[in-house]
Amino acid sequence: MTVVHYINQFFAGMGGEEKADTPPFRLDGATGPGRGLGLEVATTIGCGDDYFAEHEDEALSALLAWLEEARPSVLVCGPAFGSGRYGYACGVVAREAAHRGIPAVTAMHQDNPGVLAADGAPYVIPTGTSVTSMRETLPKMAELAGKLSRAEAVGGPDEEGYLPRHVRRNTIRDEPGASRAIDLLLRKLAGDVRTEAKPPGDFVAPPPPIADPAAATIALVTEAGCVPQGNPDHLPSRRSFTWLRYSLDGVTSLSADRYETVHGGFDTAAANQDPNRLVPLDAARELERDGRIGRLHDFFYTTSGVNTPVAVAAKMGQEIAEELVSSGVQAVILTGT
Amino acid sequence: MGDAASSVERRDRRPASGEGELIVDRTLSVASYRVRDLVAGDATRWEDGALHVDLAGVERAADELPGLRSMTAAIVQPGESTRIASVLDVVEPTVKPANPRTTFSGHLGTLGVAGVGVSNRLDGMAVVSTIGPAEQLDRVEGLIDMGGPGAPLSYWSRTCNLVLSFDADPAATLAEVDRSIRIATLTVARDLAATTVDHAPDESESLELGPADGGDLPSLCVVMQVASEGPGVDTLIYGAPVIGIMPVVMDAREILDGAIVSGAYDHASVRNPTYFYQRSRLLRELIAGHGSRWWLKGVVVTLGYLNGGFEKQRAAVLAAKLAAQLGAQGAVLTTFSSGNSHTDTMLTCRACEELGVRTAVLIVESNGGLTDFVPEADCIVSVGNEDELIEGWHPDRTVGGRDPRVAPADDDAPVPLRDYLGANCQLGDMPIGVEES
Repeated sequence: MTVVHYINQFFAGMGGEEKADTPPFRLDGATGPGRGLGLEVATTIGCGDDYFAEHEDEALSALLAWLEEARPSVLVCGPAFGSGRYGYACGVVAREAAHRGIPAVTAMHQDNPGVLAADGAPYVIPTGTSVTSMRETLPKMAELAGKLSRAEAVGGPDEEGYLPRHVRRNTIRDEPGASRAIDLLLRKLAGDVRTEAKPPGDFVAPPPPIADPAAATIALVTEAGCVPQGNPDHLPSRRSFTWLRYSLDGVTSLSADRYETVHGGFDTAAANQDPNRLVPLDAARELERDGRIGRLHDFFYTTSGVNTPVAVAAKMGQEIAEELVSSGVQAVILTGT
Repeated sequence: MGDAASSVERRDRRPASGEGELIVDRTLSVASYRVRDLVAGDATRWEDGALHVDLAGVERAADELPGLRSMTAAIVQPGESTRIASVLDVVEPTVKPANPRTTFSGHLGTLGVAGVGVSNRLDGMAVVSTIGPAEQLDRVEGLIDMGGPGAPLSYWSRTCNLVLSFDADPAATLAEVDRSIRIATLTVARDLAATTVDHAPDESESLELGPADGGDLPSLCVVMQVASEGPGVDTLIYGAPVIGIMPVVMDAREILDGAIVSGAYDHASVRNPTYFYQRSRLLRELIAGHGSRWWLKGVVVTLGYLNGGFEKQRAAVLAAKLAAQLGAQGAVLTTFSSGNSHTDTMLTCRACEELGVRTAVLIVESNGGLTDFVPEADCIVSVGNEDELIEGWHPDRTVGGRDPRVAPADDDAPVPLRDYLGANCQLGDMPIGVEES
């Protein structure tokens, strides 16, 4: 068993805020909380919280190079409790290690931004917000780290005490789906409601309506696979992992000889006769001309919404949204298929 | 897979008034002939559990059919190191001995009401249609692995399979090719089963659905979603595509007896090959418990994959209305394919619950979890995560249409579960589920 432990400058005893700009460091053996894990920690790696936040790429490349060198059987990060910057670094380092095939476990408060940064790749054990929960957290981390290190089967989140990662793995059950459905239906009719699947719970609350459309900048976004004729940037018809942006400068309508759809999920014949039905530029320009909307954003955004994993689609949506917000767009007309 | 639904003897409970039953006092008798061996031979015949098949004779079934250049037949056995690729459909051989032309009613000559009378079936055997690269079809992913890590995910890794590989004429239309392949496949399936006529079956069962009333038993129905979007993405009932239908009530035994035939070849793990309608575990189990554990009030067949919000809402409301009209207190909702159709399922769930019909929903997940959701869907059976990767495998041989657009360049490349035919069957025939980690 080779254990590597990630901590920040504070838990390495280098200092507090005044040392938060410490670049990545590497120490032999266990340091700070690593001594309380009860595991034989071969190497401790770490980074100042500010340095990591401000130089993520540089910090990661140094830390990951050390990890590749040590090739541990498990990486332990934190615990970070309620500390947002430390938690973020723990989440990112653990995530990147897990993506490289190194099992990883970290611990922090469930509202720590590091949980989102971890993105379901490592295991995250929930803690309190302050260091007072150190004593109860370390044994939980050590137990899970031990299992991961020995490549033992890890149970579900309730059983093992980690936060649900929303990783949905297939398993062969004793009964086929039909028998389970009849059983669950009879139970439900008797008042015992059970389910095998719940929504992930990341519902986005709609923002309030824009106060004055006539003063707003509106953008057109679509998953309808609308691209310039010939698909010059090779947008995939299915399983798209990318989105594209095309200029609308001087364009008043999407004509059939200049635009088309490459979407692989519907009969595109009618849409190709009038691409404005994919991206309603003709109608939007009319609203703009009549002063009913302030102005149309200079680009439209497009992808093909077929067979793309939901997590990838969510990430693409966040990327597009960030760009729109930074461009001063207040509202979006999102056309789907 | 051989746990046949047992018959329920209810001859002593005749309807008092004769009211209310859609189909009264009919019986489907199913004679099962267990196929212990499938062997190539000079003549096609049944002999003590061994089916001898004249492969050249089988291949002639496609001779006169338009749109096909050729059809070849091959035998694939359980336990072989074989991958069957680009599968279009899987059919269990069956015949109506009283009038073989009514087998798969509407496809092979004569129309008759399915689900009554006698049917002979070859138990443990399947006819598998496949296609090579064809201009007319988008990539056809359907895989059946007889060994390796994909075998437990392949329902037909346990059956003796007669694999028909079709070569389409590039000049023919998809509709033509599709129809000819279906007729050839169903004809072969029927004619193989016809060898059992006048032989004694291994087992006979009588599927009865007497009047469904009385006692404290819960009343159940199935709302079965199918899809019909044209050749290649179709479902046929009594020989015709169901595109545009209003939800319709069918007897579970009609469906088990060949009234529904698949014409859908995309999205391999979540479509329903014909075999799953013929052997539906859900329908057989509900028939078996009818009168002792519940009343089976009927099967509402409805469309998913509908084009717009209005169409989806309308089908959901009308399917729910039929479930309520049948007097069902609870309904098992099944789903066809993934993505778009999951909205149809969820709207149907909501419409049923609003009319007081409680629901259990069979549906597949992706890496992102559920595609759509309504709060009323509080009782879901997950039939697996279609995105999970299955490790690569080197079979000794590949049978069927090895489409270079599908076949991984390297056999070590993992294959997503969604490419395995029927693996995430949303009629509930597979034992796959999901666990959170």
